[in-house]
Amino acid sequence: MNKYVWTVLLVAWPWMSYAQTDTLKDETLQEITIYGNSTERQVQMKSAQPVVDISQQFIETHLGGSLMQSLSFIPGVKAMTIGSGESKPAIRGLGFNRTAVTENGIKHEGQQWGEDHGLEISQMDIDRIEIIKGPSALLVGSDAIGGVINIYSNDIPERKLEGKVKTFYHSNNASVGGALRLGGIGEKGFYWKAAFSGNSYGDYRVPTDSIQYYSYYIQLKDGRLRNTAGHELDGSVMVGYQGKNLSSSLRISNTNGKSGFFANAHGLEVRLSDIDYDAHRRDVDLPFHRVNHLKVMNHTDWRIASWRMSSDLSFQNNVREEQSEPVSHGYMPQPDNALERRFNKNTYTVLVSAKKMIANNHTLNIGTSMEHQHNKRDGWGFIIPDFRNLTTGLYVHDRWYINQQLSLSGGVRYDWTRTHIYPYQDWYETFGEYKQRSEDRILTFNSVTWSIGANYNAEKWSVKSNIGKGFRTPIPKELGTDGVNYHIFRYEVGNADLDPEESYQLDANFCWTGTRLTVKVDPFLNYFSNYIYMNPTSEYYEGLQVYNYTQAKVVRWGVEVQASYKWIKQLESELTGEYLYARLASGDKKGYTLPFSQPWNVSFTTTYKPWEESFLSVTGQYTGKQTEIVPPEKPTDGYFLLNASLGHCFHFKGKEHQALSLSLQAQNLLNRRYYDHTSYYRLIGVPEAGRNFSLTASYNF
Amino acid sequence: MKKISLSIIITVCLLLMIGACVSEHNEKDMVPPTIEDSEDCYPQQCQSFFRGEVIPVRCLFTDDNELGNYNIEVHNNFDHHTHSTVAGECEMEEKKSPVNPWVYNKDYHIPEGQTAYQANLEISIPTDIDTGNYHFVIRLTDATGWQQIKSVSISIK
Repeated sequence: MNKYVWTVLLVAWPWMSYAQTDTLKDETLQEITIYGNSTERQVQMKSAQPVVDISQQFIETHLGGSLMQSLSFIPGVKAMTIGSGESKPAIRGLGFNRTAVTENGIKHEGQQWGEDHGLEISQMDIDRIEIIKGPSALLVGSDAIGGVINIYSNDIPERKLEGKVKTFYHSNNASVGGALRLGGIGEKGFYWKAAFSGNSYGDYRVPTDSIQYYSYYIQLKDGRLRNTAGHELDGSVMVGYQGKNLSSSLRISNTNGKSGFFANAHGLEVRLSDIDYDAHRRDVDLPFHRVNHLKVMNHTDWRIASWRMSSDLSFQNNVREEQSEPVSHGYMPQPDNALERRFNKNTYTVLVSAKKMIANNHTLNIGTSMEHQHNKRDGWGFIIPDFRNLTTGLYVHDRWYINQQLSLSGGVRYDWTRTHIYPYQDWYETFGEYKQRSEDRILTFNSVTWSIGANYNAEKWSVKSNIGKGFRTPIPKELGTDGVNYHIFRYEVGNADLDPEESYQLDANFCWTGTRLTVKVDPFLNYFSNYIYMNPTSEYYEGLQVYNYTQAKVVRWGVEVQASYKWIKQLESELTGEYLYARLASGDKKGYTLPFSQPWNVSFTTTYKPWEESFLSVTGQYTGKQTEIVPPEKPTDGYFLLNASLGHCFHFKGKEHQALSLSLQAQNLLNRRYYDHTSYYRLIGVPEAGRNFSLTASYNF
Repeated sequence: MKKISLSIIITVCLLLMIGACVSEHNEKDMVPPTIEDSEDCYPQQCQSFFRGEVIPVRCLFTDDNELGNYNIEVHNNFDHHTHSTVAGECEMEEKKSPVNPWVYNKDYHIPEGQTAYQANLEISIPTDIDTGNYHFVIRLTDATGWQQIKSVSISIK
């Protein structure tokens, strides 16, 4: 066995041995499932892994252009942005298919592998979020290697009619938007919910008048990044019944968005065009992408004897397309339309689980999952083949409450995946031949994953540790592509012999809660026995640099620190920081880091609350320089940002449920020109957005 | 209690030790190769050629470590999509649709172990191709996989 695995086991041992020697006490403990007003300790006791709970209010006071941008203030969580209105998640540096997103327990399935793909979930229609940092294969299955973002939008209304109206404005990209959420409980346990939201944004502004890429100067008009405007329209309805022994709900939601790509470079490719991009700042011309995500979800809970059963059935349809001005490339003649890529993905999910309390101190959870995906491509640009994917999983998990202070948890899961990749042939000739870019292949994969953890909770401090294995089934792009990516100037060669990626991770969490001081430290150590990455070679094929999908050992470790101090009742300061280290430990690129490695950062916030319902807060954030890069990345300089926010919540006499909240946020107050190492536009030298003021108003009734 | 504290200390120490032992410095190639950007590198931005002629390619490639391979590609720019990497506008002909455009795309090998290489090629322009604006693209890798691209606009008469 490898030395790293041994190290992980060694570190874990003290925890396990401690757990075994502790004396048992006969105390009854209920499973902790308190959300919303949960204290830090309750959150920490929910799982042996590092957990962050996020309320709807947090999203509102940190409202960014998209959900992940609003969540990027959380240590260990990062948004990989594509312009100002879209982003995708990364947890502790792992993004794309290595971080799973679930909505009400169902894994969200779009085109997560894409560099220019954004998460298709409306941030206006969320009740709460739970982020688990660390491999969460046990309950989610494949992909949750870095962690999982569990989004909940299924809270049951409490009154006959309740709702919320929200509106916001962002000055930088002139984004205007609003949302309406309504809900109510009827008689006999029936309830309903509905939400509708939308926003429209213009080209965003960067603190520069030109962008230098290669030796080419791209002049910007008024500092606006041309053609980065967009809009989004989302809606959902939900009906449900809540009874004593049976509860069930049906939720249908749809998100639809369109946004432009920076007009002068698509991927890494410099583009000039006859389109008059500067005529309007809100219109979207070529190149652009649009996406529609439809979800139908049913969740049912019922009881059989002492078993609490639950089932989920869901259907998702994701249609994403990219259009760009047709140009000839290599042997490809000029296509006659603008549809470069189109993906239509249908995903069916079935989850069944059974929970039981045993001997008053065990919570046993057994479950199974089944998912079927079908992805179909279209357009003149080939990047991934069509595929069909069937996954089934089976897991058992137990949580043992030894006494009020100590609990142990552990589980094991088995997954089986069958991937059918369909053949693809070019529509044009290369050297007189219609080249086959993908072969007809059927591949199967197996994975056994497990997790063991312990929580210890004393008066002022709590400690927990977890060791677990995560996995990820290779995706068809990694297995079956043999294609050209003109936007990044590379020829991507898949590898049908790839094994499922396996990751072992040790997590720890130390939390100390005093009267004035609270400290939380989350270190982790992670080892991949076969991380899948695209290895740049020195070879050329059909005029493009060859990148081979290959597997190598990877060692990663990192830490997140959070400390807050209450000076007086009204004044509190918080210091957060994160550090991440990643190394390829074998193969061609041994010694290099992983792509999109995020640099260290620290931030210091001071919040003043003159009254119960008012706040004024100032944050200084420093992000370190990133010199750890892999081809074709560039080093990114460090930067300092200053943000501030203030807000007030008005209550009305005699109307306990009504409240009006107003908040004003300022980001990048110093209008610094800086680059985000993990942004889609970093490679072409586009800086992040300049100074922005956001005004948000929401009214609860 | 003591055992817990001990566990914390052991965990933290081991994490630090692992961090220390894997972060040992090894010499990594972090520098992309270079394509000479001077008056001695041919063809040059806005240079004109006639059908049936040869395009002389003269350019110096260098890398701090070891050069990889290079590729020469020529494709038409009849639609003025201009992705040249060299600043400066050239005189452009009217936009037009390609009938028999010239497509040239060839990979060239650089002998192993070189840190400098002088490209010296003669590329013949076919006599039956469409005249007009073309892009002449040089792509160069080093042994590690860093890439450099130079693209110039040329016209063929």
